[in-house]
Formats: sequence, C-alpha cells, structure tokens
Amino acid sequence: MTADFFLSLLAATVQSGTPILFATLGEIITERSGVLNLGVEGIMMIGALAGFLVARETGQPATGFFIGGVCGALLASIHGGICLGLQGNQVVSGLALTILGFSLAEYLGTPFIGQTAPGFFAVPVPLLSRIPWVGPVFFRQDLLVYLSYLLPPILWWLLSHTSWGLSLRAVGENPDAAKAAGLSVAGYRWAGIGLGGFFVGLGGAYLSLAYTHLWTNNLSAGRGWIAVALVIFAFWRPMRAVAGAYLFGGVMAFQLRLQAMGTNLPSSLLLMLPYVLTVLVLVLSMRGKKRGEAPAALGINFEPLD
Amino acid sequence: MKKIFFWMACAVLTVFVAGAGAEEMKVGFVYVSPVGDAGWSYAHDQGRLSVEALDGVSTSFVESVPEGPDSERIIRNMARKGFDLIFATSYGYMDSMAKVAKEFPGTIFMHCSGFKTAQNMGNYFGRMYQARFLAGMTAGAMSRSNTLGYVAAFPIPEVIRGINAFTLGARAVNPEATVRVVWTKTWYDPATEKEAAKSLLDVGADVIAQHQDSPSPQEAAQERGAYSVGYNSDMSAFAPKAHLTASIWNWGPFYVRTVEQVRSGTWESGSWWPGLKEGLVDLAPFGPMVPENLKTLVLERKSRIENGQAPVFSGPIADQKGNLRIAEGETPSDEALLGMTWFVKGVIGSTQ
Amino acid sequence: MIEMRYPTVSRRTAPLGWGSMMVVAGAIALSLAAGAAMLAAHGKAPLTGIWLLFYGGFGSGWALEDSLLKAIPIFLCSLGVGLAFRLQVWNIGAEGQFALGAVGAAWPALTFPQLPAILLIPAMMAAAMIAGGLWGMIPGLLKTRLQVNEIIITLMLNYIGILLLDYLCYGPWKDPVSFGFPMSPTFSPHAVVGTIGSSRIHWGLFFCIGFGVAMWIFLRFTRLGYELRASGENPLAAHYAGLPYRRLVVMVMVVGGGLAGCAGFLEASANINRLQPSIMVGYGYTAIIVAWLARLNPLQIAVAAYLLAGLRVGVENLQLDLQVPAAFGGIVEGLILLSVLAGGFFNHYRLRFRSRS
Repeated sequence: MTADFFLSLLAATVQSGTPILFATLGEIITERSGVLNLGVEGIMMIGALAGFLVARETGQPATGFFIGGVCGALLASIHGGICLGLQGNQVVSGLALTILGFSLAEYLGTPFIGQTAPGFFAVPVPLLSRIPWVGPVFFRQDLLVYLSYLLPPILWWLLSHTSWGLSLRAVGENPDAAKAAGLSVAGYRWAGIGLGGFFVGLGGAYLSLAYTHLWTNNLSAGRGWIAVALVIFAFWRPMRAVAGAYLFGGVMAFQLRLQAMGTNLPSSLLLMLPYVLTVLVLVLSMRGKKRGEAPAALGINFEPLD
Repeated sequence: MKKIFFWMACAVLTVFVAGAGAEEMKVGFVYVSPVGDAGWSYAHDQGRLSVEALDGVSTSFVESVPEGPDSERIIRNMARKGFDLIFATSYGYMDSMAKVAKEFPGTIFMHCSGFKTAQNMGNYFGRMYQARFLAGMTAGAMSRSNTLGYVAAFPIPEVIRGINAFTLGARAVNPEATVRVVWTKTWYDPATEKEAAKSLLDVGADVIAQHQDSPSPQEAAQERGAYSVGYNSDMSAFAPKAHLTASIWNWGPFYVRTVEQVRSGTWESGSWWPGLKEGLVDLAPFGPMVPENLKTLVLERKSRIENGQAPVFSGPIADQKGNLRIAEGETPSDEALLGMTWFVKGVIGSTQ
Repeated sequence: MIEMRYPTVSRRTAPLGWGSMMVVAGAIALSLAAGAAMLAAHGKAPLTGIWLLFYGGFGSGWALEDSLLKAIPIFLCSLGVGLAFRLQVWNIGAEGQFALGAVGAAWPALTFPQLPAILLIPAMMAAAMIAGGLWGMIPGLLKTRLQVNEIIITLMLNYIGILLLDYLCYGPWKDPVSFGFPMSPTFSPHAVVGTIGSSRIHWGLFFCIGFGVAMWIFLRFTRLGYELRASGENPLAAHYAGLPYRRLVVMVMVVGGGLAGCAGFLEASANINRLQPSIMVGYGYTAIIVAWLARLNPLQIAVAAYLLAGLRVGVENLQLDLQVPAAFGGIVEGLILLSVLAGGFFNHYRLRFRSRS
C-alpha cells in the first residue's frame, strides 16, 4: 500500500461520491419542506438520459448538465401534482415515479445505447492541484466535482441563514403553524420538490456526462436509493451529506481495490462493507442524541382547505 | 368515431394475420436483459434475426426476464402458445425450463449455459474460453507491466473458465504475466464496472479485460492510456485507442442449424458446445497497435486450436497454490471444464 | 357578461362508496389509453395490445392461476409492511426479510433432508419466520432504543440480507453437483410445499388466507390491535395514554419480518425448490406500493396484490405477442399507479364550480 495507492483511492472516492452527493442534496431540500420523494432513482435516470441527449445534440456538455437537472425537476413535479395538488400518498407516488422514470429512460434511451456524447473530463486547478495530498485528491477532478464542492455550503447557508430557507424548514416542521404565520405551505413545498428534483437530475446527468461518457441502460444502478438513505444519515444537513456520500463512495472504491490487490475474501462479503459501515457509523453517531432530527411533518400531506 | 373503427380494423387484421401464420414454425427466445444492451442478449438477438430471415419461420422474444418463477411462467406460456422450439439464454432458467419441458413433451427446449438435459430439452453453449485464450495471448504480449486486469461479473464456472483461459494465453507468450480479478457482482452496472477497471489500473494493470455486458471498462482503459480487450461483440467503437481485440459471439449459424434440425425432425436431445472451429466464438479484428508478428502468432495458434492440435487446457496446469490440477499430457473432460471452480496459477483473486 | 367560475375544494363527509370503484376504473382506463397511444406511436395495434394485456393477466384460467401464484409473495410481504405502516413505522425492509426467510427455510431443508414432511415443512416455516422476524427486529430495536431512523436501516439491511443469501449460494451451501453454479442442492421432496389438486397453485395460498384473516381479526377485535391503531393515528397521544408504543414498534417489525420471511420460504420451497440468488425479484418493494394503494386494509391488500401481479403477468403476454420492449410494461405500471393515486383525490374531496359574485 503506497502513498500513490491511497491518493488514487481518495480521488476515486471523491468521484464516485459526487453523483450520490448531488442526489442526496436534492432530496434533503425536498424532505426539508416536508415532502418525502422516493422517486430519486427514477429522476436520476431521466436526468442522466436528458443530459446525455442534449449534450449529444448540442455538443455542449454544460447545457446537457443543466437540462438534465431541469428534466429531473419536471419529473419531480409529477410528484408535486399528485401529493400537493391531489393529496395522493407520498410513498406510492415516489415509488411509482421510480418505476416510471426508470422505464421511460430505458424505453427512450435504448436506440442510443453505446453512443458517446461530449462530456466533462478532469481539469486540474492551477496551483491548488500541486498541493501535496490535497491537490491530487480534490483538485484534479472535472468541473462538476468542483461545482459539488460549492453546493453544500451554499445550501447550508440557504437553509439556515436566509428567511426563505427558514420558511421552507418551518413548512416541513409544522405546516399548520407556518400557514398561521402567513406562509404558503404549498408554495414552499413546490419549491422544495422542484429544486430537489433539479439537483437529483444533476446527479443523474453527472453519471452520463462525467462518470461514463456514453449512454447505457441502468446507469444509476441503485444510487438513487443510496441517496435516500444518506439523507437520513446526514440528519438532513447539507454538510453532513458530504461525509455520507464520500464514506459510501470511498468504501465502495476501497472494496474494489482490496479485490484488485488480491485479498482472497469472498466478494459477497466485501460488497457488504459499504452498507454495514453506513449502518455502524450512523448508529455510533446517534449515541446521545434524542432523535434523528427528521422534519416533523415529513411524508404527511397538508390539506389546504378552508 | 372513424378512428375507432380504423383501430378496430387494425386489431382484427392483426389477429387474422397471426392466425394465418399458424403453419409456420414458431421459435421463441427468452432473454435475461434488454436486447438493446449491446452485450449478451444483443448477441443472442442477432442470432434470432438470422432465424427470422428463414422462410416459414417466425420468431418472438421476451426480454428482461428475471430468473426464477417468472422465467418458468414465460417459458410455459410460450409452450402453451404453440411455439415449436424455445431457446432460454441464461443459466438461471435451467430449472424452470426443465420443469416446463416435462409438461410439454411435444415442444423442443434448448437451454444455454447449463447442464440439464431431457428427452425434449438440450443444452448448448460456446467454447468462449478458446477465444479468451487468444485474447489473453494478445494482452500478455502487449503488457509492459506484466499485470493484466480482469473485470468480472459473477464467480460462476463460465467466468472462471474464461479467466483461466485468458491467463493461460497470457502466460504462454509472457510467463511473467499475472491476472488480477475484481468481481463486481453485476452484469450491467456501467459506473461500478468502470470503477472496478480503474481500481485494477491503480494496482498497475496496463491491459483491462472484461466479462461484463457494459463497455465501460474499455472506456476506463482508454482514459488512462492502457489497453483493453472487449467481450460479446467488437467493442472497438467505445475505445478505439485502447481496444486490442475482443472475444465475440456469433450465434446465428448455430440457431439456424438447430431450427433446421427441428423442422426436419432430425433433432435429438444432447449437449452442444461448439467453439472457434464452428465459428460460434471468434476474435474481433485486431486494433492498429497490435504488431504484425503478434497477429501471426495468435492466428497461427487459433488454427491449431481449431484443428484440435493445441487444446487450450492441456496439462500440466497448476492451480493458484501451485498444486498440479491437470497432469502432464492430460486434457480435462468437458464435464471438468463445465464445473471449473478453481483458478490457474497466475491469477490473483478469490473464486467466491 | 361572462360569468367567472372557479373551483372550490371541500372534504367529503360521506365515503364515496361504489363511486370510488368508478374513479379507480376511470384512472386505469386513462392510463391504458396513454399506453395505447404509445403502442400506436410504436406502430403496433393499440386495441389488440390492451386486449392482450388484459387477456394475459386475467383472461383465461391459466392467466388467473399465474397471477394468483405471483400475488402470493407480494400479499404476504405487503401484509407485513402494512402493519408497520399503521403505526407510522416506515419498514421498507421486506426485501431483506424475504431473503432471510428464504435462507432460514433452506437451513433445515438442507441440514435434515430426511425428516418427514410433516416435521420438515413446519420447521422450515418456523426457521424462515424467525430469521425474517429477527431481521425485522434489528431496525425495530435500533429505532426504539437509539432513535435510529428505520428507513435507512431497513434499506441497508435489504442489501446486506441479499448479499448474505448470495454468499451462502456461492460459498458454503453451493450444490456440489451443480457444476459450480451458485445454487444450493435441490430440496428433498419432503421440503417442498405441494400444489393444490391438479392446479399449479401451492398450499401457500391457504397460509395467505389464514394470515390475512388473522390480521383482520387482530386489528379489529383485539386490545393490542386497537392500541396499535390508536398509536398509529397519534403516537404522541398514545404515549400520554400509556400505550406501549416502543413494544408495539418492535412487535410490528418482528411480525412484518416474519410474514416476509414466510413469503421467502414459500418461494424457495414451492416455486424454486432450492436456494439461489435469482429468488430475489423485488417483491419486497412491490409490497410497499400494494400496502399503501390498499390503504393498509388486509382485504384490499389481497385485491391490490392480485391486480398488480396480473398486470405484470399481462405485460409479458403483450411483450411476447406484440414484441414491445420490456420497459413499456414499466411505463404503463407507473402511469396506472400515478393516475389511481390522482383519482383517489375524488374519493375524499368534492370539487365544485361556483360563480364568483
């Protein structure tokens, strides 16, 4: 185990954590507004496909990435319509969205399998990339990874230090009180769903535009579900989401490298590592805490009746 | 209103057309993944298309069929709908197919990559390991670091056999070569498979081979300036600078021949295991970076495998720990090959 | 002057009754129409397609049998998660509990293959339900003792449970005569739950009926069932009323796990006759959809499980006869679920158009 090995492992950790990070941040925003959206996996798939197709048509990966997010928000707005507009059950609606998004991406994407699109490649940051240890790990990545460094602090600031963010959280904690205070519960929840879907879509587009540069089915392969779990792991806080995404991505990358180095452990047991560690770390970090800090009104519809 | 009549007419017409074809021979295919996957199921579907091109034969397929009870139902429904010949193309369909075969003695069943047979059920597979050996020779000769990486799906005999053949091929031209194996436990998870390839590149591998259906390991190799060996079909389009060659399937002729046998009534149950000689497996064209003398060497070996002079597995072959598993001058039986669960010397990895 | 009309929404005071069936039917019809439009865009005959879908799932004796067979594991898993949802415990771990059930059932079957069926089958069932129950108990205890959120634990335990099953099939329990394929030896005939008469439906159907009725009686007529319903409607009030909320949480998780485990046992014993990784096809997740669609009511769960199973079976028929891609089935299923949900609105709310004065 040389230093190079560790550096490449940590760099791989950052890259494989990034799509999960985007999706986790998105779901945090949605859940903070009190809406549980289990459609993350489906939204990621649509984001991945839309991003890929647009980048392929326009030749501009940045446009593709953005449109990936927009299409994610559009799919998420179905969830908004069902749960906010029509008071439908949030769990079923989210799961139905997963089925729909996944199948739609496969249906529409099959003709493009194996085709490539212009994407994002590693761009070392001048100066920063030369810092020993830190440089090779964090600053020889692609542009979207750099973007993902900025998002958690911005979202943290947005949720804790702006009146918009505080109102969004109020709506997620106690919609009745929020309404009494003159806030539009439905308005904030729509914003939470739309913005959340946008970021989840970006996570999907990251997969097709930066992680692999070609389209294939099943690109998200369960990463959306990991994001749903990591939201809880992160106690609904953007900064902790970084730790969760990198922990998960890191352990996954680590177990593959353990195999490559020739440890003769059964692969089923090695593949368990990321899941077991996530549970252990969560349980340990819960010691001494009163509750998981979930938004109190999460998953419960709010009736805008008079 | 007119439109409704139009569609109803369409519906009636479809039923009519389907009925008119009743005397055609009906051949069904069951696939484990979507046919658009550019991998395993795609290769089989290319074979189906050559059957479809025959006169008096119609084909149908069902894709993305989970192994287990779902496959049993689908195979049974095909038999019930009067399909004369059914191909099931994943090893997990074996038990289901054997059950249904008992219920429908008049239908011919063909199962790919398993070991069960019955009066009306045969099994077939291809000697992909022969092509893997040749790909291993190419990879072993092109490697500078003498470390080859192998991104593998599941530790089942089919995959283990392929890794062993690849390793034997590599060490035949480069005795120093070792093959490192990473299991992903996925057939088709592009991002994880790419990450697995990168982890192999990180430990010094400079040629990446794969037993997966997604082409992303090829891409990983190209991004790092390493070489790659494809699988299923010619994958050079995904990584033109890295792609040395690929071990590929060509199911068409075998499917056509089986259909002709069933149609003429000469089909008899058995186990078919064609290889390079019959053209069921092959090597894709070499990339431009492969030197002429290496091409000649590999192709010369290919013809000696084809005419039986130089089988891939011939003793002495030792396992990972150095124990002699196949004695000097022996060649293992097909059963022994089919149930291969140990790695040859030179492979670094676990068989679980 | 044009009269301005605008909609107002009010809660229905009386349930919609038969009207709600109409709403569901209308929702399904709408999404099928969307599916038909997609077929037409694909160049396939849309009406034939819809007919094939229906015929394949419900249109013949065979189809009814196939759908029933597929509905059995979904029903059992759904009954279990539905119980947890009543208490507002978000158990999405039926998938992993199902896996553990299959593993639990396989252990006696592989260890004591010579036991007579009268002993072996109950032993398998007990082992399956205990294994599934314990797997459900972990998140239950973590939730009540350490306040750890159950969604993440059940989700992670799904992956871990499936990989455990994998490990056993690839390692210790691998059949020595399977040429190295990842599958346990075939169960002895004593370990196989048989079929009813000449049909292909196995006796597991009676387990379903038994468990379903027991669940209904439990929720309706027992004190504990009452406490459970009360706690689910208002956990805080239940806490003040002295109801044993923590014990109830652990109980619903154990019972839910046991039921999912029982489904795993039936699949392994009656359908596959051995343990192999391909036993996992996502019934645990389907069960969540079914439970909520059925509003957690045991009878309605049975109906919803059957309809969803029929839809999936029917889609295969559509695939086979019209050669549409498998993803088409997923799209239709997603649309049906979403439109049924949207239609549910009209069961509870009344939409009126009033003129603005």
